[in-house]
Amino acid sequence: MKRLLSLALVLGITTAYAEELTNPLTPEPEHIAAGKKLYNSTGCIACHGNNARGAVGPDLTDDEWLRKPTDQMIFNTIRNGRSGTAMSGFAGDITDEQIWQIITWIKDENRKRKEPKK
Amino acid sequence: MKAVQKLHSRRLWLAVAGAVGTGLLAPTIALADPVHTPVTDEMLLNASRESSNWLMAGRDYAGTRYSPLAKINTRNVKRLVPAYSFSFGVQDAQNTTPIVVDGVMYVTSSHAKIFAIDAATGKQLWAFSHPLPENIGKLMCCDVGNRGAAVYGDKVYFATPDSHVIALDRATGAKVWDVVVGDYTKAQTMTVAPLVVKGKVVVGMSGAEYPTRLWIDALDSETGAQVWRRYTIPGPGEPGFDTWGDTDPEIWKYGGGSTWITGSYDPQLDTLYWSTGNPNPDWDGAGRKGDNLYTNSTLALNPDNGEIKFHYQYTPWDVWDFDGVNETILANINGRKVWLHGDRNGFLYNIDRTDGSFVWAKEISKVNWATGFTPEGRPIIDESKVPTYEHKAMNVCPASEGGKWWNPMSYHPVAKTVVVPSREICVDILAGKSDRVEGKYNLGIAEADWIKGHGQLVAFDATTGEKTWTVQAPSPFTSGVLTTGGGLVFAGTPEGEFKAFDIKTGEELWSFQTGSGIVGSPIAYTVDGTQYVAIPSGWGGWTGWATWGGKGGSPHLKDNRKGGTLFVFKLFDVK
Ligand code: HEC
Repeated sequence: MKRLLSLALVLGITTAYAEELTNPLTPEPEHIAAGKKLYNSTGCIACHGNNARGAVGPDLTDDEWLRKPTDQMIFNTIRNGRSGTAMSGFAGDITDEQIWQIITWIKDENRKRKEPKK
Repeated sequence: MKAVQKLHSRRLWLAVAGAVGTGLLAPTIALADPVHTPVTDEMLLNASRESSNWLMAGRDYAGTRYSPLAKINTRNVKRLVPAYSFSFGVQDAQNTTPIVVDGVMYVTSSHAKIFAIDAATGKQLWAFSHPLPENIGKLMCCDVGNRGAAVYGDKVYFATPDSHVIALDRATGAKVWDVVVGDYTKAQTMTVAPLVVKGKVVVGMSGAEYPTRLWIDALDSETGAQVWRRYTIPGPGEPGFDTWGDTDPEIWKYGGGSTWITGSYDPQLDTLYWSTGNPNPDWDGAGRKGDNLYTNSTLALNPDNGEIKFHYQYTPWDVWDFDGVNETILANINGRKVWLHGDRNGFLYNIDRTDGSFVWAKEISKVNWATGFTPEGRPIIDESKVPTYEHKAMNVCPASEGGKWWNPMSYHPVAKTVVVPSREICVDILAGKSDRVEGKYNLGIAEADWIKGHGQLVAFDATTGEKTWTVQAPSPFTSGVLTTGGGLVFAGTPEGEFKAFDIKTGEELWSFQTGSGIVGSPIAYTVDGTQYVAIPSGWGGWTGWATWGGKGGSPHLKDNRKGGTLFVFKLFDVK
């Protein structure tokens, strides 16, 4: 019984960890504005270009992604980088909260691009 | 001719040695393993006449990137076909110039790799990979690239993004020494192809988009020990220290002045010419009022101790990121010993290399930040093109990539023609205040909007400075240039086309699609009498100019495909 319980506990923890990370922020204008500012000041702009429309790093506002664009993937990529590429991890430069702000802005740019042109 | 014969006999193959050995031993020796004859000072001094070889990044100490080889020429270049291709197995900027010694090619790639390959077949002889810190990308403004290796004695040398200079055994690829010359966490990074002069390995630094103070180092070729260091920004008490204004007493420690393009050497004058890049912050000149010596200059150095003999400064108080780091080609023109330098500020310069005096400067592309020159060769600035915090300078020509960007030009000493890879792109800039934090960008830019333009390849008559022809293209020519004794000019494009032109007319004679954008430099060499032309392909580098701002300078290059491959060509043989 005890063993079963601890097994359940372990399993419980495992499932908790396996749960996908999702953006805790809602797309409030202040998060979007903060995200854009951070995108520029952290130097993302140097590789991903103006408004993340792509330069030597890929466009982050279209539907073409190298990895499926889940919140978790984008968060991990920005936090930890991609080994063997020019994409560095920014964990030491910005907080997790700031990473989510950048993601909020990126997602907003994606959404805006999909809006029908008036 | 004699030199050519000597070279062929030097290319002895171990297979021959194996054949005279015992029957038992012979099969264990890999067939056709080359004998690696030491590269001597004499060979380097006569590199321009080593017609089968390409012994240093600029091919010779004058940096001409001219090969006298003429087997591939204007009449038969249409028959040029791939002999082989060689994948580097990595993406990003392939900025390299391969080196060839007696049938063996040493070629670096992005992400700190170097390969030795049989230059005739593409067979890999060895590969060496230096493991990089995970987060190196954000400490390099302009990609995790490398510009090439250097050879001397039995070693091959190359620099890594995290500021190691490494010597390998040419025959085996085994590491002989490995020294750290800078602190990459402060963005003191390396992409330079070293130059070996008088037994010293001379290297320069990247990193002036970040607050740091950069230098040129000379290392002992046997041990890697530092022989001298020349900081490009004078410290307190040194001449030029007072050219940084009086508002910021710390600025000299952070003023940039990178040195990432390989210099040239004049053995008669025993002078090393090495150019320097932009001051930091790039676009914000408010805190550094003055000429900002020795940024945007070419330094004439004593190669024994690094002392500055004299200098010429292309852009005093640079507020456009014009970055005078580009190469100097040593030439003798109209009886005068000069250097030629194509600058990102839009001018092609002719400077006396005995004393640094100004001979002439000619526009490569449209220039409007300067309206002319004083007789001493100081540019006369148009104040409306100076960006400040309040004033957005509109339509500044050229944008910071030139003119001529870093990709090396070539000088054909027989045709007396300089061929410059170029672009016509302008920019609107508003300066801004950014924070000075080591290891973080400090660009001093609030707004920058590149204005859509086009590319061009421009040929000049070096005796007069007149343009002889211009080839227009949709995108900037982003490769280095090769000129040859066969009357050819080779250059590549961001679209991946590797092209040959007639040096007399600029007429396009041949083109090959390499599959990714070209930001490396072509070379020519022979193995056993067959001439080859090689070009590294693989898009990368700082490409913000293409897409940044409203539209960007070449918006069609957005998402341009990457992929690093070396292509080698020879004439199709009808057999
Ligand atoms: C030095 C250049 C560079 C910088 C600076 C940089 N990136 Fe990247 N980034 C890249 C490259 C190159 C890739 C593609 C990596 C690959 O091939 O997997 C990439 C990939 C990404 C991806 C994944 C895209 C996909 O399609 O899967 C995201 C998201 C991203 N970057 C966001 C950022 C953010 C946010 C910043 C700033 C905090 C940033 N990057 C800074 C170069 C850079």
